[in-house]
Amino acid sequence: MTEPVLTVDDLSVDYVAAAGTFHALQGVSFAVLPGQVVGIVGETGCGKSTLAHAIPALLPRPPARIVSGTITYQGIDVTKLPAWKLPSIRGTGIGMIFQEPLNSLNPSFRIYPQLAEAIRIRRIRSRGAAAGRADPGPFDYSRAAPSPGAAESLARPLVPPALVDGARRPAGTGDRPLRAEVLEALRLVRINDPETILNLYPHELSGGMRQRIMIAQALAERPALLIADEPTSALDVTIQAQVLTLMKELIDEIRTSILFISHDLGVIAEIADVVGVMYAGRLVEFGPVADVFERPRHPYTRALLTAAPDHAKTDGPLTAIPGAVPSLARLPSGCAFHPRCALARERCAVGAAPPLQPAGATPSPEAVAHASACWYADEVS
Amino acid sequence: MGRSSSDLVWFIAKRLLLLVPLIVGVTAIAFILIHVAYPNPCIIWEGGHAKPDAIANCERVFGLDKPIAVQYFLYLQQFLTGNWGVSPQGSIPVLPAILTALPATIELVAASLVLIVLIGIPLGVVAAQASGRWADHLVRIVYLGGWAMPTYLGAILAAIFVAPFLGLPTGGEFSSPPPFPQPTHLSVVDALLAGNLPFAWDALVHLFLPALTLAVLNFGIITRMTRSSMLEVLPLDYIKSARMKGLGEAFVLYRHALRNALISTTTVLGITTAGLLSGTVVVEEIFTWPGIGNYAYAAITGSNIPGTVAVASVFAIGAVVANLVADIVYGILDPKVEWR
Repeated sequence: MTEPVLTVDDLSVDYVAAAGTFHALQGVSFAVLPGQVVGIVGETGCGKSTLAHAIPALLPRPPARIVSGTITYQGIDVTKLPAWKLPSIRGTGIGMIFQEPLNSLNPSFRIYPQLAEAIRIRRIRSRGAAAGRADPGPFDYSRAAPSPGAAESLARPLVPPALVDGARRPAGTGDRPLRAEVLEALRLVRINDPETILNLYPHELSGGMRQRIMIAQALAERPALLIADEPTSALDVTIQAQVLTLMKELIDEIRTSILFISHDLGVIAEIADVVGVMYAGRLVEFGPVADVFERPRHPYTRALLTAAPDHAKTDGPLTAIPGAVPSLARLPSGCAFHPRCALARERCAVGAAPPLQPAGATPSPEAVAHASACWYADEVS
Repeated sequence: MGRSSSDLVWFIAKRLLLLVPLIVGVTAIAFILIHVAYPNPCIIWEGGHAKPDAIANCERVFGLDKPIAVQYFLYLQQFLTGNWGVSPQGSIPVLPAILTALPATIELVAASLVLIVLIGIPLGVVAAQASGRWADHLVRIVYLGGWAMPTYLGAILAAIFVAPFLGLPTGGEFSSPPPFPQPTHLSVVDALLAGNLPFAWDALVHLFLPALTLAVLNFGIITRMTRSSMLEVLPLDYIKSARMKGLGEAFVLYRHALRNALISTTTVLGITTAGLLSGTVVVEEIFTWPGIGNYAYAAITGSNIPGTVAVASVFAIGAVVANLVADIVYGILDPKVEWR
């Protein structure tokens, strides 16, 4: 059995505020295998973003508090790591793309220094000067067979011939190899004229362009695990589709492990290999994406799938899940979904929440089991 | 995009042009204020028992019998041609005296600005990073202590307690008269130009305590501003993304966060500089620093009216120039400002 890149075990996170204690994550457990794309889907406020921020220890503490559990990345428990050691697991280890491309690039620096900084960090680490991922493992995209699209974009001359002896001295001249790598990183995200981008400030670029640069910056460090926290949610629909297509192509090319957070089932269905469904801070269903979407084993997943707007349907009301998302400060007893669930019985309302359990025997040791946190999982589909 | 170096030249040139109406305005205000304080300086100059025709003669000589608007126009004309009047005691021309004193003040203000930046900004970063914890409170106590202290008290405490404790001199620019010419009237620069290192060191030692006093009394606003703008910047996504690059905390704070926080600190630094210029009056008097503050004190106490107007105008111009520089630096620091 292959060693997982990331193992989250029984993770519980609280936010302590004046209004009360919010249980943002409760007993979340899952693993990300090498090269796997794990999607996490759920409504707003279900703890997806908390999970994404908890893994690289980005949560501000206080107000956040890790109540229990471990986050194991390459044999290191991230929750126990002292603050001064955290940089060594970030960047080359765990990379991240944020929801708001408008704010995730530093407004005071041109694009070139921001990307060059990421590449410089990777170089220092790969020389062994710092901890982290010294050896570029099998997830390194430079070793994976590039797709035809990448081969073509990499074969293009790095510097347009007209610019080589041009009067203009663009940023970073005199540092050819670094500059070449920056251009390569920008071409990887299908930016066709990276030369002009280098000297611009983030506010001079569109949201979609900034998100591409953000992706280029994260990938430039060749992370073993990439966390994408709703990378397309803040973009216009057309740009969303472009960035999504780009990410799908990149997933084929770079073969890094990805944790993809989204509230959009369609996006997850297209991108992920394995999907986890979250409700009120708990992982309620986890399994191969086709399995979960075709034969859901949790009533919430089933309700989500029915509620997803169907583009083919042009008239009639949209289906909605009855009731409202419970407050994370006052969760119902038993299964948090029971007040909204059609299958709910007495057992659902009392005692502890049902544990996430695999259905029957796993078909093979390599496969991911289809697990569900419902007492009546067999009755769902 | 309006941010090439030729655009920057225009940007600065236009701001410099704005200086002209500002200087006319501030000299007018200085002139009117002095006129209110001394409606007829001839009475003071000619003495308490002067005959009316002596006073009338004096008024005619100095043009004081004309309407105030005309007086101001005549003053501005002479001011621009370099005739800033003479002091009534010993008939010393004002302009050369100010030109000798001003560099000493500029040197003092520049030195204390360097200290303010070196003390105030890192303390602000530390306070923001430790926001709400004991280091934050300690920093607040320190800067409020300096900020709340009256200038004369701070300067006297420094001269009486700090100077003997550190073995620092409390007066003048040099321990003994320098054996070299002083073309710039900047003590350290003159000594260095003459290649006289012992005197340069001596000048630095003399400069240190008055500069430190001014800095300690004025760095509070810079610390406070740096702290609050750092607190605005730190929760933003680009700080998270800098952390996620794998950068150490020092790079995240001082490169990514401070670079953006400094944009608003710069404006306050301009205002502080203007305050420092006039704040030097007391400090220069206590440390017998031969600067413009010292000259201003002597001019005011000696009924040197041309000198007082000139000093007021110089302070006002200094304040305008300091804000102009802050404005230009702001334009350079914030990439969203277009230079046109």
